[in-house]
Formats: sequence, C-alpha cells, structure tokens
Amino acid sequence: MARTLRHVNHRLKALGGLLPLGAMWILPLSAGLAAALTSTFDAAVWAALFTHPQIFPALALSLTTGSASMILSTLLAFLIVAGLHRVTALQTWMGGFLAVPHLAFAVGFSFLIMPSGLLARVVGVFGDWAAPPQWITTQDPLGLSLIVALVLKEVPFVTWLTVGLMARRDVSQMLEAQSRIGHSLGHGAASLWLRVFIPQILPRMRWPLLIVWIYGASVVDMAIAIGPTQPPPLAVIIWSDLNSADQAINARGSVGAVFLTLVLAALAVLFAGLTRLLKPTFRSFLVSGPSVEAVPVRSARGLLMAIAAVYLIVIMLLAIMSFGSLWPFPDLWPSQFQVMAWEHLWDAPEPLFNSLTLALGSMITALFLAILWFEEVSARFDRYLLAAAVVALALPSLLIAEGQYLVFLKSGLNGTWWGVYLAHLSPVFAYVFIVLSGPYRAFDPRYRSVSLGLNTNNWRFWTAIKLPIMKPALTAAAAVGIGVSIAQFESTQLIASGRLSTLNLEAVTLSSGGNRQLLAMYSLLLMIIPFCAFLAASRTERRLQ
Amino acid sequence: MTLHLTRVCVGVGAKSIIAPFTLSIGAGEITTLMGPSGSGKSSLLAYIAGDLPHPLTASGKVELNGVDLANIRPELRRVGRLFQDDLLFPHLTVGENLLFGVPRGNASRRRETMLLALQEAALAGFEDRAPHTLSGGQRARVSLMRTLLAEPYCMLLDEPFNKLDSELRETMRTYVFNNLRAKGIPCLLVTHDVADAPRGGAVYLINRAGVLEHA
Repeated sequence: MARTLRHVNHRLKALGGLLPLGAMWILPLSAGLAAALTSTFDAAVWAALFTHPQIFPALALSLTTGSASMILSTLLAFLIVAGLHRVTALQTWMGGFLAVPHLAFAVGFSFLIMPSGLLARVVGVFGDWAAPPQWITTQDPLGLSLIVALVLKEVPFVTWLTVGLMARRDVSQMLEAQSRIGHSLGHGAASLWLRVFIPQILPRMRWPLLIVWIYGASVVDMAIAIGPTQPPPLAVIIWSDLNSADQAINARGSVGAVFLTLVLAALAVLFAGLTRLLKPTFRSFLVSGPSVEAVPVRSARGLLMAIAAVYLIVIMLLAIMSFGSLWPFPDLWPSQFQVMAWEHLWDAPEPLFNSLTLALGSMITALFLAILWFEEVSARFDRYLLAAAVVALALPSLLIAEGQYLVFLKSGLNGTWWGVYLAHLSPVFAYVFIVLSGPYRAFDPRYRSVSLGLNTNNWRFWTAIKLPIMKPALTAAAAVGIGVSIAQFESTQLIASGRLSTLNLEAVTLSSGGNRQLLAMYSLLLMIIPFCAFLAASRTERRLQ
Repeated sequence: MTLHLTRVCVGVGAKSIIAPFTLSIGAGEITTLMGPSGSGKSSLLAYIAGDLPHPLTASGKVELNGVDLANIRPELRRVGRLFQDDLLFPHLTVGENLLFGVPRGNASRRRETMLLALQEAALAGFEDRAPHTLSGGQRARVSLMRTLLAEPYCMLLDEPFNKLDSELRETMRTYVFNNLRAKGIPCLLVTHDVADAPRGGAVYLINRAGVLEHA
C-alpha cells in the first residue's frame, strides 16, 4: 500500500514538473504551430502566392543568404578553432560577441559600410572625396552585405559551439589521444583537423548548424536593415504580407510562411541525402595518406582580430552616432553633438521598460520551468524535450509568430504584455533548457546523499549546496535567455499589434529611413543589455574559478 | 635502424623525475623500461615522440638513424607508438584505419598493402567493419598493423598489453614482439609488469631516485 502510494506520489511530482511547462511552453508553441499550418488549406491563396511576381527570385535570395552564411561561418569558425583552440579566453571572447543581437549588429555594420559610412570616409581621406561614393554596399541586390553581416554574427556562435564541444572532458581527452597517434602516423595538424577532428565534430553540430542555416534563410529584422529590397528575401515579402490590413494579402502571408518552412525542410532532407551520396568522395579524402601541412595559425589569428575589430568599431560607431547630430560626409568626426536621442529615451522610456521586463520575465520563467523539469522529471526523458526545443528553434520564427498571433487573437492576448511574454518564452525556454541540460545533469547525485546524511533537509541541500554549484550554469543560461528575448522581432511585432513597443521594434522601424541618432541609440541599448548580462555571467564563473 | 638516447632526463618544472641516462637500441632490439606509475616513463616516450605536454620538461639528445630529432616536428619523426588503448578512429572502418598512415602514392597499391596487413593480422575480410565491432584482441592487432604500415623507424610501446585480459596478453606479446623483430625496428617498451618484458631484451628499472638500473 505504502509502495503504491509512493508510486502515485512520484507520478504526481512528475506531473507537477510538467503542468506549468505544458501550459506555458508546449501549449502556446504547439497551438501556434497548428494554427499556422491549418490556416493554409485554401488553394486560391496558394495560387495567389505563386503568382506573386517576386516570389522565386526572393526565394533564391533567401536560400543563397542562408546557405552562404552557414557554410562560410562554419569554415571560418573551424579555421579559428583549429588555429587558436588552446587560447583559453577564446570562449569568453566569443560569448561577448554572441551577446550582440543580430539587428543591432546589422545597424552598426551598415553605418560602417554604407556609402556615407565610416569606411568610405576613411578611404575618402586618401582620395579627396567630396561626396559619398557610388557604392551599393548596403542593401545590394545580391544580398552580399546581408551575408557578410550574418557571417560576422554567426562565426562567434559556431566557434563558441565548437570550443564548447571540444572542451567536454570526454571529447577533449579523445582528441588529445587521437592527435598523438595521428602525429605518430605522419599527419600534420591541418591534416588531423580535416581528416580526424572535423569528421567527428561536425555530425554532433548538425542541429545547431541547421538552426544557423534556417535563421539566415528566414531572418526578417536584419534583412530589413541591411538586406536587398528589389526583390527582398522571401521572409521580408511574407512579413509585409502578414502586416497588411488587406485580408487576402494577409492570408497570402500565412501561406508564404508555411511555403518557406516546407521548402527549407525539403532542402534539409535533400541535403542530408546529398551528403550520403557524396560520402565515398569524402571518405577517400580521409584516407588519402599523411600530409604534414601545419594549421595556418596566423590567418586564424588575423581573422579573429579582424572580427573583434569590426565588433569594436560597430559599438563605438553606434555610441558616437547616438550623440552626433551633424556629421557631414567627408568628416571623420561629427561636427555637432546633442543628447536629443537620450532625452527622447528619458521622455519615452516605454520601449526600454518593455524590453527589460519582457527579458527578465521570460528569463526567470524559463529558468523556473527548466529547473522544475530537471528536479522532477527523470533524465531519460530529457531528449524528448531537447528535441522539441531544437524544433522550436529550427522552425522559422516567422511561422511560429504568425501561428501564435492567430491563437492569441482568439484568447485576447494580442496587444498585451502577457501575450508578448508568452511568445518570447518559446525561444527563451528552448535556449535556456539546451544550455542548462548538460551542466544540470552532470551534477553528481552523490552530493545529495552526502548532504542528506549530514542532517540537512531537501530545501537546505538545494539552496546551500546545489544552487551554488549550479550558479555558473544558471547565470550563463540567464544571460542567454535575456539576449534571446531582447532580440525577438517577429513575434513581438505581431503580438504587440502596435499597442506596446520594444527596443527591437523601434530599431527596425527606424532602420528603414528614420532618425539615425535614435536608431543608433536604440541599437546601442539592444547591445548593452545582453552584454551586461553576459558580463555578469562570466564574472560569476571567474569568481568560482 | 637505431634509436640513440644520450643524457636524456625528464622533470616537472625544476624537479627531476628521471635522472640523465644514455641508452642505445639497435635494429630489432626491444628494450624494456620498468617503473611504477608517475615515474615519468610515459613522459619519456612523449619526449622522444616530440609531444611532451606542459608542465613536463625533458632534455638530452634523441637520435634516430643518426638524425637528431630535436627540431623535427612530431609528424615528421617517424616514431610509431602504441598505447594502452587501441585508439582506432571510430569514424573510419578497419581498412580505413590501416590506410590512414600508409604513405601517399598509388591508390590501388596502398589498398593492396592494407589488405596484406589484414591478412598478416589474421583479419582478412575485416576491412569494411567498424572498429567497435571487433574484439579487444582483434583491435589491438589492427592498431599494431596501423602503426607498422606508417613505416616507422622506431617504436614506442606504452603499456600496450595493460588492458587486454590475461589470456590474450601472452598471445599479443608474442605477436607484437615477433613482428617488430622481423621488421628490424628498434623498440622501447615501458611497463610496470615484469611479465611484459620480452626474453633476450635489455631491461631497466627506474628506481626511487629516478636513476635507471639494470634489472
């Protein structure tokens, strides 16, 4: 009897861990997804989509943007890791770059490369230029500036992932031993990377790389800020359809979001098949024999320095531009400074306030839900939730935002803080859970037995022992959560329905030809908040070391 | 082929763990170095191979076939190594593992060399198998063959029989030593098990002071 009771008790506990998660994350996410998919059974709307004059050039643009940025950032990240993986600060650096939101980076980067940007001014000093050059550096029709901006933003992410994977004790020991044996068999460092390390690391990175690819192919805010316009990438067309007041166009947008998702899914499957087909070629390369080439460490260092320089310049440029009210072309420095933008923030702090409360609210909830899961649900179920989290992140945010908009419309959540908060929770929880799952499950359960033997209760054990041990992982997850929430665009815009604003929304609106001082100020704030969170997290980590 | 060590010593930082010694190993000779764990014997092998990890230090002259190895990168030294673990690459098949170290050249000739080595290891037909599907003894034989196919000028064995079960150990010892002798490769074996030392080879002991003694 007592045993059955205990059994029931266990079940109840697991249920207690699952219920809030189900209500706050699984339900809004799956309902949104279902709504997005079922809103598209009308054949006439599909016909309208396919007769859109720009759909195929726009789709091609989306696919090249996503593919080029994913492939280039992976290659460059591997070069950096191969050359500099022994540099212990590498991961911290990358974490700092990672904290910069895509949109804020794109805005600052376009201030750097646009015809009247800093780059042209610096070059102009030598060429005696009086007027901005006829460069088409931002919003170029091929989307090259968008690709470069995406690459600069994703290289830190892929590097951070790779370093993190290689730092895991089992992996690092394996690679260390393999490098000894590889050297003794006559292989230089470059050959070992190409033939031994990357073939083993790459398969473990396929999900994050898929997310990078889909992000690049479906990003909206960054594409509005720096991407081509005639035609824009497909995601931008869909986006303007979704924001249209005309119901027919609106429906075309819903169908477009599903169409883009289906194309990406089909291509992902096709790509998986293609790699299988190409396997014999790869394999014959793997065993073509020893080569003693060294890793181009200097190029790796140069690349890292260049990326770091761009980030620094972008941040400084945003800071200067938020004050500079008059900055005529060939000048390297503004001729007039004003605090107008910052005064504006003082008068209208609502976007900042909303961004902060949404970030903190969704981050705290996500941490709470994740901890509840880890404490109440057995580790063997983790992989199901991990899979769900990866799916939530891999699906274009356009699609989820559209679906959640439809669901929230019926439940009266649109236009409310709570609606936006629930929408933010979808990606925030997914990232927090992924970041936390490794460290949380690595916690040695014997600590608990030891501690409970020392006359402490469960709660004391948790607060006095487990929490301090888990603190670096928790603060890292919190920083990630804040960064993810701050950067949300599509869901924020649709569900806010014009009734509340955030830093991100203001910046996107201003990026298509608004006041540059305000744009710089909002973009800078977008960077500062996650960066502070990241700094706090890395300080916690360092203190414990 | 000869491996010649002159006044070689190993330490951690400023602390010495193996005092300077001089040793010469001729073609087909197998010299055994015995010592408890932590006595620095694995570090000595790492020094000879050229990948001594920080904070370990070592000095002294290492000559292979009369060439001083001091400024030669590990991958160019042609020093073959065997460890406790077979360290077969899990992402490659048995045959691909063997091909990995075969010097570049004609693809079909390289493949023939590989197939021949499999035959020699009594593993004919195993080339397309994944390493983890083989038994411990089979993997150890593949590992030895892989090292030999890279045509090393000397071999360093770091307790290579340690993880094999006792029955297999004796067979494997005979197999490895016969192979190395037949190919005339000088070989330095480190172990803490006296039974590992081959008959007829020189055996040294690292004593508590880190000095090499004839056993």
